[in-house]
Amino acid sequence: MTQQQDRTAALVLEQASVAYGHVPVLEELHGTVRSGEAVALIGPNGAGKSTLIKAILGLVPTVRGRIEVLGVTPAQARRDVAYVPQADTLDPDFPVSVEQVVMMGRYRKIGWLRRPSAADRALAAEALERVGLSDRAKNRFGTLSGGQRQRVLLARAIAAQPRLLLLDEPFNGVDAVSQHALLEAIALLKQQGAAVVVSTHDLAIAHLACDEVCLLNRHQFGFGPTDEVLTPERLRATYGGHALELRGDRVIVTQT
Amino acid sequence: MSLFEPFQLPFMARALVELVILGVLAGTVGVLVLLRRLAFVSDTLTHTVFPGVVIGYLMAGQDGVFWGALAAGAVTAVLLTVLAHRRRVSEDAALAMVLTSLFAIGVVLVSQRTAFTSDLTQFLFGRILTVTQEQLVQTAVVTVLVAALLAVLRRPLMLRTFDPEGAAAAGIRVGLLDLVMNVAVALVVVAAVQAVGTILVIALLIVPAAAARALSDRLVFIVPLACLIGALGGWLGLAASYEASVYHGLRLASGGTVVLVLVVLYGVAALAGAVRRRVGLSRARLGTPELEMTR
Repeated sequence: MTQQQDRTAALVLEQASVAYGHVPVLEELHGTVRSGEAVALIGPNGAGKSTLIKAILGLVPTVRGRIEVLGVTPAQARRDVAYVPQADTLDPDFPVSVEQVVMMGRYRKIGWLRRPSAADRALAAEALERVGLSDRAKNRFGTLSGGQRQRVLLARAIAAQPRLLLLDEPFNGVDAVSQHALLEAIALLKQQGAAVVVSTHDLAIAHLACDEVCLLNRHQFGFGPTDEVLTPERLRATYGGHALELRGDRVIVTQT
Repeated sequence: MSLFEPFQLPFMARALVELVILGVLAGTVGVLVLLRRLAFVSDTLTHTVFPGVVIGYLMAGQDGVFWGALAAGAVTAVLLTVLAHRRRVSEDAALAMVLTSLFAIGVVLVSQRTAFTSDLTQFLFGRILTVTQEQLVQTAVVTVLVAALLAVLRRPLMLRTFDPEGAAAAGIRVGLLDLVMNVAVALVVVAAVQAVGTILVIALLIVPAAAARALSDRLVFIVPLACLIGALGGWLGLAASYEASVYHGLRLASGGTVVLVLVVLYGVAALAGAVRRRVGLSRARLGTPELEMTR
């Protein structure tokens, strides 16, 4: 790949291997995600999807090959990368309001001491608007439903104005309304030029929201345009031969 | 019961000032301890500061207590941070071992003394009524330092407490922040050790914070409420123990009385919190039925 093409690449994996200590978790990953594109990370539980996201954040070391984020190393790129954790990993009793959670997305730009400016407040309000939860701004975060909490966390990421957005299983146990709101917000981010990496179990969502798919299970079983990569054969290989059902153009993995 | 008269005595006034400052310090740090669910870690710190207190006392007498406690607190804060990030052993088991072994060292050391029992009592439960001017200054300095530290780090601390992975992803050095947090707890223990002893300080940390949490869902209120409840507990506890000892011939230990008053205050707060929540719920149900429908 030439330097010229690399310029629009938001995420480049070059024969990258990722390990916790001496234990390799992911090996030989290879692919590119450009600005304005979304890639779905698909694979069974324990395939290393979360680990890859952590590696892109620079929290897990790349032991061989290279991971390049926005043209620099993962650690150097953090300022322009936003991460959306799974909502159900957060303490629902924590005394924090929805708007405070969204404002956390501005912390990096605000710094430690300065008060949030009018511009920071406007960006946070706009981000909350985009996920359709403006009317819940004053509510305590923990009083929202799981899907709504996931949307608030996406709003926090949007408020950070990222060039690369990483989402860890954002659709798990999320109701239809919230799923729709999440997909819309992600689509708008893509339109505005952000690259998106989203891990998911849901192949239909990968079809719907993503241009590319990365099939993962310790190794890479395919990385490329969704239609080319999401084939029954490749899925069977990724999921180790677990049963697959085909329904029209939708592929459903019955056992993960 | 007289709430003001006892404090015309200089030693009672000093005790009151000490407990009010400690209430503010422990209330602030306690909220973080509560939110991070670090009660057991804090309890471990209170026990591990004990041998430091004993060694300081053996080496330099009363003046050595503060510095001994400080040294032990610093060492344990580092140790606990490393332990929590390595997770070689189950964290609870590791903490229990650290807690008891260091506490045993303290007991063994203090048992060398002829005044074994009275020394032990002093280190474990403190001597609030003999607090000196110098100790007041020490407590005040520690309080200002810790408050400034937490004020500067409030955003990273809040993010780390709420969402550790998100904090790491945002480039916050979580390990370093956890060390700062453990040092803050250690400083509270160090500041409180002479007044209320190593055992009772955990109550100053946890009880006012828990009471404040029951009363409010918003941090901007929870922190000042915890400080207020901590200080109030100190005042009422001192007044009650003075009243009982002087007028009713009942010798109530001041430290213990303060803790018991705090627990009563927690009971009241928990009750008020339950009522508040019930009222809030029914109000939400009555006020915005259409909101419930559209959700």
